Amino acid sequence: MKTEHYRILEKSKITDFLDKLNTISKVAAPVYKGFNNYAFQTIKSAEEVSLKYIPTVIPPKKYFLPTNESLLEFSLGNELKVEPTVEYENLILFGVHTCDIAGIRCLNMVLSDKPKDTAYLIRKKHITIIGLECNDYCDEFASCAFVGAHLPTTGYDLMFTELEDYFIVHIHSSKGSDIIEKTGLFKPAQTISMEELKALREKKSAIFNNEIPTERRYLPDLFDRSFNASIWKELEQKCLSCGNCTAVCPTCYCFDIKENVDLSLKVGERYRVWFSCQLDPFAKVAGGIDFRRERSARQRHRFYRKFRYHIDRYGMVFCTGCGRCSRTCMAGIKLKEVLTSLIRESEAKIWRKWL
Amino acid sequence: MSKPKVAFFDFACCEGCQLQVANIGEPLLDVLDIVQIVEFREVMSEKWNGDFDVAFVEGSITDEHAVERIKKIRERSKILVALGSCATIGGVNGMKNSFDLEEVGKYVYGESYKFFPTLHTKAVHQVVPVDYFINGCPIYQPEFLTVLKCILQGIPYYVPEYPVCVECKLNENVCMYDRGVTCMGPVTKAGCNSWCINNGNICYGCRGLTINPNTEGLKEVLKNYKIPEDFLIKKIEMYNKCKEFDKS
Repeated sequence: MKTEHYRILEKSKITDFLDKLNTISKVAAPVYKGFNNYAFQTIKSAEEVSLKYIPTVIPPKKYFLPTNESLLEFSLGNELKVEPTVEYENLILFGVHTCDIAGIRCLNMVLSDKPKDTAYLIRKKHITIIGLECNDYCDEFASCAFVGAHLPTTGYDLMFTELEDYFIVHIHSSKGSDIIEKTGLFKPAQTISMEELKALREKKSAIFNNEIPTERRYLPDLFDRSFNASIWKELEQKCLSCGNCTAVCPTCYCFDIKENVDLSLKVGERYRVWFSCQLDPFAKVAGGIDFRRERSARQRHRFYRKFRYHIDRYGMVFCTGCGRCSRTCMAGIKLKEVLTSLIRESEAKIWRKWL
Repeated sequence: MSKPKVAFFDFACCEGCQLQVANIGEPLLDVLDIVQIVEFREVMSEKWNGDFDVAFVEGSITDEHAVERIKKIRERSKILVALGSCATIGGVNGMKNSFDLEEVGKYVYGESYKFFPTLHTKAVHQVVPVDYFINGCPIYQPEFLTVLKCILQGIPYYVPEYPVCVECKLNENVCMYDRGVTCMGPVTKAGCNSWCINNGNICYGCRGLTINPNTEGLKEVLKNYKIPEDFLIKKIEMYNKCKEFDKS
């Protein structure tokens, strides 16, 4: 932690800061929607922003991977004309929690892998991420300490951490340092603030304890033993296949591609929309065959996509511990409970082998 | 090439879905550029005696006259489209099927009910083959245009088989169950872009049940939310009573 990479912002100046941000470019921040629901929305003034919030209904993924995104435009005149399209705009995301930053890092990994998702990579360049560290758990659904997403590491331009009397801000990119300069509200950090930050992190390490009774490094083994675990059959009874868990997941990136023509029937666009492995049509192919018909198989697939397959391919766990899937599930399928059940069953099996 | 001939017909319904078409606004002008509307009682007096390329049928089939009439329309149409809940799933008219037909007749027509013979309500596809379905009570205008374009391109239109929740979540609405209100979204076919919930209303389930609902799982969910099961059954029957004819 180098003191010169840190700045101080008085708490009373946060509204000035947000209003100044709004003059630099479009700003999206967490806004309260009622009934303990929050959403990232573009803001007109600082008053709309909720600095204290639980994870939003949909993660800020929606700005990187729009729910409905035009890919190309075509016209069917005498000859076929096709023009690829990229939708992007300059945007500052304010108040992004470390779990959601971890989610964006997962997306970066997948979408810059071959074949590169050019539209995504262009859009990403136009988005500035200002993080906001959590000093305590948002609620009982979070499992961010398990995946190590409760602390800021990387993947942001600026990171705000709230201390007793002020915010200490970590500058992590030139984009971030430009904002510090343009807004002109920050003071340099002193050694005392660095000590206060250290003290906060120590306090956090007492609050944030691994929420799952295993360690991350044992996940591959655990999942290799769990393909036929009994919990999947239980989920078959519980899951309603509404697709909420995947829609709200910061690391889900599956999409469907569709085409739309205008009423001349000659001009149209190809676009993509978010899609979900939990939905009936997802794995249906020509001839009406569905290779993941059972809800149990779909739920199992979801968990393997978070905790097994991507570890082999990218060396990363694709769960950020944000707790959204558990929070949104009407049927009460809770990620922490499912993992715990897998661990218990697998432990029992290992013991039986020894005895 | 002459424009495809399009006609609109209505059976037992409120004609609100046709009103949605008539009230579609500016796109109507573009629609009229590519099709020729030859019969549409709600907006014009002209009638057509020949064949149709596309016939949109609103309403459900509730008596012998209707059966005869829909069969004739089917014979004259290359493509038949069921328009709105009454036509696609029987809709609210299906509630009649919960009662004895004689009792229903007496309730409406008194002693002269014998002059008005009636049948169990059926959706259009339960009487004649239907090529395209536009669900909803009333129909969602953007979906009407999508289906129309599919018809004219000669490609199928797939009604989404997943629940309204999928679209509702992407619209970032506050879940009605979080508000403490029972919403039919989790068991209702999507395709309306969660129109009602976007505007602060609950989903009434007008588009019909999803194809593969987990009924047992839903019962558990209802218990968790302290919603009586028969309360939900009644809500389902409001639009889905004709579903039982699909099995036979």
